[in-house]
Amino acid sequence: MSVRDAIAYALLGLGVTCELIAVLGLVAMRDVYDRLHYVGPATLGALLVAAAIWVYQGPSQIALKGTLVAAFVLVASPALAHGTARAARISERGDWRPGREEGIEVEEP
Amino acid sequence: MKEWHLAAAILVAALIPCGWVCLRRSFAEGVVAVQLAGTVAALALLVLAEAEQREPFGDLAVVLAPLSFAGTLVFLRFLERMR
Repeated sequence: MSVRDAIAYALLGLGVTCELIAVLGLVAMRDVYDRLHYVGPATLGALLVAAAIWVYQGPSQIALKGTLVAAFVLVASPALAHGTARAARISERGDWRPGREEGIEVEEP
Repeated sequence: MKEWHLAAAILVAALIPCGWVCLRRSFAEGVVAVQLAGTVAALALLVLAEAEQREPFGDLAVVLAPLSFAGTLVFLRFLERMR
């Protein structure tokens, strides 16, 4: 096994570990907002897997596709997490803004 | 190729807990699980394409990532309307 292969396998292992941590967090947490925090490590995992393919194959079609997937996940994942939290709050309370009973001071415009 | 196959198998296995959350928990928590499952499935397809040395199979991952994003957005719309 060459040094390049070893680095690729290490990156792949780290990427898969990130995905496993994300899935374990999803299962272990209590509510929707806690679970949402574990979508972040999945994004990091996608970047690491794409890096592993780059190191293993060099510039190639599959490396380009890996980069495309990782870049898309990197951009889409935070937007989806924000949208999910907003939708969950609207579903719970009817509005995403903090109510008076929550005790959060909000400056009126 | 053994390492890539192993990684793909682990990623596919990681979809099972996501399915469990979808089935057993609330709708909102299920949407989070679908979101994560989309990312994991796209990576599993990508790693499988690399493991099998078939580069065109990587297209499946490239297509799945945006489709999963759009699908989750639709579920979010339903979630907003649920009270």
